[in-house]
Amino acid sequence: MTMDKQDFLSRAGLQVQTLELWLEQRWLIPEQTSAGTNFSDMDVARARLIRDLKDDFGVNDAGVDVILHLLDQLHGLRRAFDQLHRDI
Amino acid sequence: MTNPYEVLGVAPTAASADIQKAYRKLAKKLHPDLNPGDKAAEEKFKEVTAAYDLLGDAEKRKRFDAGEIDATGAERPQQRFYRDYATSDHAHPYTSDSGYADFMDADDALAELLRRSERARANRRGQDLHYRLPIDFAESITGANKRLTLPDGGTLDVTIPPGLVDGQILRLRGKGAPGAGTGGPGDALIEVEVEPDPRFTREGDDISLELPISLSEAVLGGRIRVPTPTGAVTMTVPKGSNTGTMMRLKGKGAPRDGGGHGDQFVKLKVVLPKSPDPELEAFVSNWEKGKAFDPREDGAS
Repeated sequence: MTMDKQDFLSRAGLQVQTLELWLEQRWLIPEQTSAGTNFSDMDVARARLIRDLKDDFGVNDAGVDVILHLLDQLHGLRRAFDQLHRDI
Repeated sequence: MTNPYEVLGVAPTAASADIQKAYRKLAKKLHPDLNPGDKAAEEKFKEVTAAYDLLGDAEKRKRFDAGEIDATGAERPQQRFYRDYATSDHAHPYTSDSGYADFMDADDALAELLRRSERARANRRGQDLHYRLPIDFAESITGANKRLTLPDGGTLDVTIPPGLVDGQILRLRGKGAPGAGTGGPGDALIEVEVEPDPRFTREGDDISLELPISLSEAVLGGRIRVPTPTGAVTMTVPKGSNTGTMMRLKGKGAPRDGGGHGDQFVKLKVVLPKSPDPELEAFVSNWEKGKAFDPREDGAS
């Protein structure tokens, strides 16, 4: 399921300026199509996670950057591990 | 989509009686028949009615509050966290192999497995999506065709097989999230919730029902109409039937796994006329045999 920017902003509860900033940081990487930017449910979930980190846990921007980087690695590992588990 | 609490002008914590009061007040003011020619009132009335539809029903209100359905009553998938997407097999732009890329350069069996799984992931099946669907008791016995409204406005036609039980999960192949590459889409998993019918109880494939009969039907017998989930049928009550007498309607229960149907059991309950009847009183006081009969004589006092 994909949505446009307006839909994404309302579902993730974000301001336009915030989104621009997060895109610049490459915290969010929505799909680019000829029709424009396409957001997925996964982007919404990731945006909510970032919002939780910043608003509820008081993590600052540098911290969010590190956490996302480590999380992406962790999930990459989990997937590789899961696949290995199935292959063996 | 407007918030139904705001439409009715009540707090989200309002008691159901207050919600009903608020609805009645607004409905009285906005009813189209009381406002002929006022188009705005009609629109507002529809909105208020829809809001009350949702909040007036304790079950729907609970589901709305939990975020399971939206203000129009459409299903909303349970809240998904980021990890649900990140660990799925779906290819996504956030994947990072920097946690294990160095292992992959090696020349051993593990590295080969890792490389193979990298390639395999490009063609992954889509995710399964979970929904809930409430149906009537009768529909659970007879089967039905239902349409589920999805959060993106699309619909899903669901065929309810006859004899389904509460909590059963139906799988619609290929109706889940799209997959990557040649992976194909995932499935839609629909948990069916059977709303209980106050008249019927189901035990396995059998259904039981308590049926009130009149005194004259009990004493003289007769043919009476009995509701079943598939519609009313006629049943013969024998002379002298008592409260607690069990009658069996063969094949009127839920469908069995191996074909055929269970039975419906009808438990009779004799009900006296609502208001005291002088004629009946006069008869019973002159009825010597009736007075002589003691239903508690075998010690059941």
